[in-house]
Amino acid sequence: MGDMLDRWADPPLLVLASLADEPKHGYAITQDVAQTMGVRLSAGTLYAVIARLEARGFIEPLPAEDRRRPYRITGAGARELARQSERMSRVASLATERLHASLGWAGA
Amino acid sequence: MSTPGKRTPDMRDSGTRHPDKRKARAARLALALYPPSWRARYADEVHALLQEGGGLRDVASLVWRALPAWIWPPAHLHDRAARMRASLSTGLLAWSFLTGLGLVFAQLTQFQGFRPAAHPIISVSYLVFDAALALSVAAAGLGGLPLWLLMLRRARREHRRRDVAALLLPLIAPAAFLAGLSVTVRLVGGADGASPWWFLVLTLAGFTAATAAAAGPGLAIRRLQPRGPALRLAATAGGVAAAAGVVAAAAIIVAVTGLVLWAPGFAGYHHAAIPGLYLALVVAAAAVTAVSAARGTRAALPDPNAEN
Repeated sequence: MGDMLDRWADPPLLVLASLADEPKHGYAITQDVAQTMGVRLSAGTLYAVIARLEARGFIEPLPAEDRRRPYRITGAGARELARQSERMSRVASLATERLHASLGWAGA
Repeated sequence: MSTPGKRTPDMRDSGTRHPDKRKARAARLALALYPPSWRARYADEVHALLQEGGGLRDVASLVWRALPAWIWPPAHLHDRAARMRASLSTGLLAWSFLTGLGLVFAQLTQFQGFRPAAHPIISVSYLVFDAALALSVAAAGLGGLPLWLLMLRRARREHRRRDVAALLLPLIAPAAFLAGLSVTVRLVGGADGASPWWFLVLTLAGFTAATAAAAGPGLAIRRLQPRGPALRLAATAGGVAAAAGVVAAAAIIVAVTGLVLWAPGFAGYHHAAIPGLYLALVVAAAAVTAVSAARGTRAALPDPNAEN
């Protein structure tokens, strides 16, 4: 189940992160994102994101299995995911450091 | 024990009230809101996902996301030829309607010999209208002719009678209208003998003929699905015709507004509602023509991202 900050989650990054280890079809992506990242992607959002990522060459479709079509991350998608992960990591480090300095918060 | 092949009451219930069936029907309706190219590419996958697990929230999200799919269609789904064909079909209908409105304007003003000398703005707008309408008709006719001939040859070669008939409608419909007009005018004792009601009837008949003349090639375009240089030329010419049509529409707006302000007793303009309704139709037809032609022309332009 997602939390109150679900709307801040970036669905394209969630999908890229889900596909980073192995190809998955639509339902498997929603399950993986819900279980590992705690965000529920609806069908409309998921396929809007898949269409956008496919158009930019960040993911590519594999041959369909029955009516389910798996997708895998491309080299360009992996590089973009790495770049965004690095950026988020810097934001997280900065936030933790400043919270610690101002509030004495040591993290959960 | 139930008879094989016969539906029991339980089976009927499961056929009409089962939640999965309702969900599938709702999903089909939601997906019907998407562009055809999007549906062709993703609809099966979405159905499969909803079958594995999904609820009304998913269906609602599909409805919500349909509008962006139209406004920002994914580039890899963009079928340029299909876009040009759709724009030509829609644009041709809107352009015919706009041209018909232009001819009504000409009939009620210039053909009556009305030239209010005290108002040069009206005279200039008449000139602009004449030039823009002539350019618009010439661009549509010359630019569309190669595509029309190409489709006509193919339809005849493949013995597609309905398509041949549809393609000949731009010749048949105006000829039938002009023949009917000629007979009617003789019957009522000349053009001066036509009452306002006759004028209305003939105007409606003219619009019907124009609609048929535009719908025929539009239908043939959808059925024959042409591609290639002739289609690109027609789409580009459609852009020029639409741009000139919009200029003609602007001239109409200026002239009619001028007539209402400076010649309120002229023709039918003494009722404020008539020019208001007329101008609303002109603006609507010009807007549809411009938007449709712009999308078709953009699809006809060379793709900067193309490899070849």
